[in-house]
Amino acid sequence: MKKYAKILLILITALAVLSCFTACSSAASAAGPDENTPPGKPGAAAEEPESSGADDSVRSAVDFDHELDSYKPLKDRYNFYFTYKTVHPWWDAVALGMEEAQRQYLSEGITVTYEYMAPEGASAEDQTERLLTAAQKDYDVIGVDVADEEIISPLLDRLVEAGKKVMTFSSSDAAEGCKRLAYVGNTHNYQDGADLTEALCEKLGYRGKVAILVGSAGAPCHEDRARGARDTIAKYPDMEIVAVEYDMDSVDLAYELTMQILKDCPELDGIVCCNMSNPVGAARAITEKKSSAVIVGMDHDEEALRYLDDGVIYCLGVQDCFSIGFDTIQVAVKIADGNLAGTVFPEKTNEITTVIYQKDAALMLALLYGDII
Amino acid sequence: MTQKRQITNRSFVLTAILGSMLILAMMTANTIWVSRQAGAATNEAVSVVSSFYLEAMADSRAKTITNLINSNFEEMEKAVAFIEEEKIDSQGELRNAIGKIKSLLGLSRFALVDKDNIVYTQYTTYTGRSRHAFLSEETIKDRIIRTVSLYGSSRQLCLVIPTPELSIMGKPFKACFVQLDIKEIVDLLAFDDQGRTHFALYSKNGGNLSGTELGPIISDRNLFDAIQGIVPENVWKENRANFENEAEGSLSFSVGGTEETLRYVPIPGTGWEIAILIRESVIQDQIRDISERHLEFSRNQVVFTLVSVLLLAIVLLLEIRKFSKDKLEEEKETSRTFRNMANTDSLTGVRNKHAYSEMEAALNQQIQAGEIEKLAVVVGDINGLKRVNDTQGHAAGDQLIKDACALICEYFTHGAVFRVGGDEFVVLLQGKGYDTMTEVISSLNARVEENMKENGVVVSVGYSALTPEDRQLRDVFERADQMMYERKKELKAMGAPARR
Repeated sequence: MKKYAKILLILITALAVLSCFTACSSAASAAGPDENTPPGKPGAAAEEPESSGADDSVRSAVDFDHELDSYKPLKDRYNFYFTYKTVHPWWDAVALGMEEAQRQYLSEGITVTYEYMAPEGASAEDQTERLLTAAQKDYDVIGVDVADEEIISPLLDRLVEAGKKVMTFSSSDAAEGCKRLAYVGNTHNYQDGADLTEALCEKLGYRGKVAILVGSAGAPCHEDRARGARDTIAKYPDMEIVAVEYDMDSVDLAYELTMQILKDCPELDGIVCCNMSNPVGAARAITEKKSSAVIVGMDHDEEALRYLDDGVIYCLGVQDCFSIGFDTIQVAVKIADGNLAGTVFPEKTNEITTVIYQKDAALMLALLYGDII
Repeated sequence: MTQKRQITNRSFVLTAILGSMLILAMMTANTIWVSRQAGAATNEAVSVVSSFYLEAMADSRAKTITNLINSNFEEMEKAVAFIEEEKIDSQGELRNAIGKIKSLLGLSRFALVDKDNIVYTQYTTYTGRSRHAFLSEETIKDRIIRTVSLYGSSRQLCLVIPTPELSIMGKPFKACFVQLDIKEIVDLLAFDDQGRTHFALYSKNGGNLSGTELGPIISDRNLFDAIQGIVPENVWKENRANFENEAEGSLSFSVGGTEETLRYVPIPGTGWEIAILIRESVIQDQIRDISERHLEFSRNQVVFTLVSVLLLAIVLLLEIRKFSKDKLEEEKETSRTFRNMANTDSLTGVRNKHAYSEMEAALNQQIQAGEIEKLAVVVGDINGLKRVNDTQGHAAGDQLIKDACALICEYFTHGAVFRVGGDEFVVLLQGKGYDTMTEVISSLNARVEENMKENGVVVSVGYSALTPEDRQLRDVFERADQMMYERKKELKAMGAPARR
């Protein structure tokens, strides 16, 4: 009898210990990152993982599984205006996250309407005009993906001073000290540029000639990444930057610029591409010229992912556009209700970037675009 | 006679059993033959059936999608007409109008596109050139059907119609479009057949659009990735070309002994192929089920027939036995009648000389065995029979015999009366008849003496009882006969008619 009692005691103790562990782990999850900050390390790089964790890394790079947080909106109708740098698939991905948030609000009886507009080519002047026009209308919040921080930031200050509720979103924040109410998007563009360049340097054995395709002149995200690239290359004495070009987020221009760089420097060893368009243009040129230059670049363009799959592109830093879009609408609703940063939303909502390699390309293609023609 | 009947019964039983077994054997053999024939026919039928079955299913579902597309195009035309009639002066009014269209016409994700490629939906307005591939065309002239899979969103079928006449808020609009979620199309096509058949929608490269599993082997993978190495290369290429050319076709393959057949047909205008797959084993199982049900029915039929035949045989046997028994009884009765006729005196109805002889033989055995204690023989003789015959005729003589017999029978009620000669009777007395013998004879004699006065029947009787010394009945009879003669003389002396 005593023996059975002992066994029972051991079992109960084991169950109690197990319960404690479970409770602790749940508590740890619940007490994780800020509710407005998606999980994941900013600038996390998938360092060519060999295990099955590679799949998890790719799957977590873009989080399509979102739910509105517990914040209760004060109104049942909201109307926003968003403008971004240029018509481009990257912002279409952001739009899908925004639409998901809009659908979820609608299912809770809250109607969110908005305009999501951009010019055909990145232009601070065009953006200024759009913002001024929007300011004339009665939008609850105006959101902007800053085309040029030097031009746009002062405008945003004036709008805020005029009583407009203004936020920045997606890839580019305004200049430091801007009075905009919040930013939702990539807060680590410099680090993204540095991480991609570090991967390139390692691939090249820290020796070689490199070109940088920046993107749009003045666009904070592109400039920050380029700065990160420059600083990284500067660390290695045998690495040399042979060209820095602005492709203005245009695939065609990126192609032409790369062709010219290859003409000027046929022995080019690598190219750092700081936006979503230029890896595609660079890869087309490299393929055409049969160059062995190693390309590192940004984001999830389908053609770029196919080049990654084929090994033409070495790695890509993929931003979680869907989450950016979803969080943008959530923060806009909170701003519209008169909340300020630091209360129910952070001043900067961080979003992750995941570096993926050739082995990850097929899965990423399947996740984002499916296997269709 | 009895022996012969038993042989007949046994023959009948044997015949019935053998007949039943023969019938059973024939029916069993027939059932087995039929089932084997059915099994052979099954395999031939399977491929034909599966082909027809799959083709019909694929065609039916392809038509469903085509009808859905056409229906949506018609609704879009109505939507454009509705918008044209509405007085829209602001973006808000346009959003409301689109909302009405969605609720009235059931068009999901209905949107309008202006000349600057700005897309207007119920809740959003956005620049859409990079998002919607069809907007890369400067002008849209015809209807467009396009599959969309954009950045992880659900796959959709985009239907576009041009709107060259449409102008809203003073701005020309180039098109309107709807986006049908392929998951919703899949729900429309889904059918509940307990997982026996599978379907999936494919793009030209074999990519799975529907997300449905086309059986366990292909699953939801790219069709041509899945079957590469499973089917011969020429078959693979041929089917791949069919997809590219939007042609229909079918494909059979076997993995791990599992035979699978799929049929695919194009869905016009979409670039899709719908494939229906069924495992041949499913059809085989179904046909086998039917065959087994038939076999079971046949088995039951055989058992039922056997039982019926056996029951029939038993009933017949019983009937025959009853018939035989009745026949036997009848024969016994006839025999008894014949025997009675042989042992009965036809004139008087009492037993005759033959019967007496049989009885005498039987009693002699018993006497010799010492089994009889009480036995007496009475011998009676009719007085004056010859004189009646001679003077009054034989009819009168016969009547005298009958009267005499009646007289004897009247007195010897507990004895066996025999007519052993023309005018001679013997009565055998045992039991009560033996015990009352003396009294009965005295009464009879008194009656006879009375009859003499009235000219009635006169019978002389003598009697004797069995003694231990007697070895046979004859011994007793002779003493009784002697006594009868003495009595006859006595009666004669008293005036009774003499015999001769």
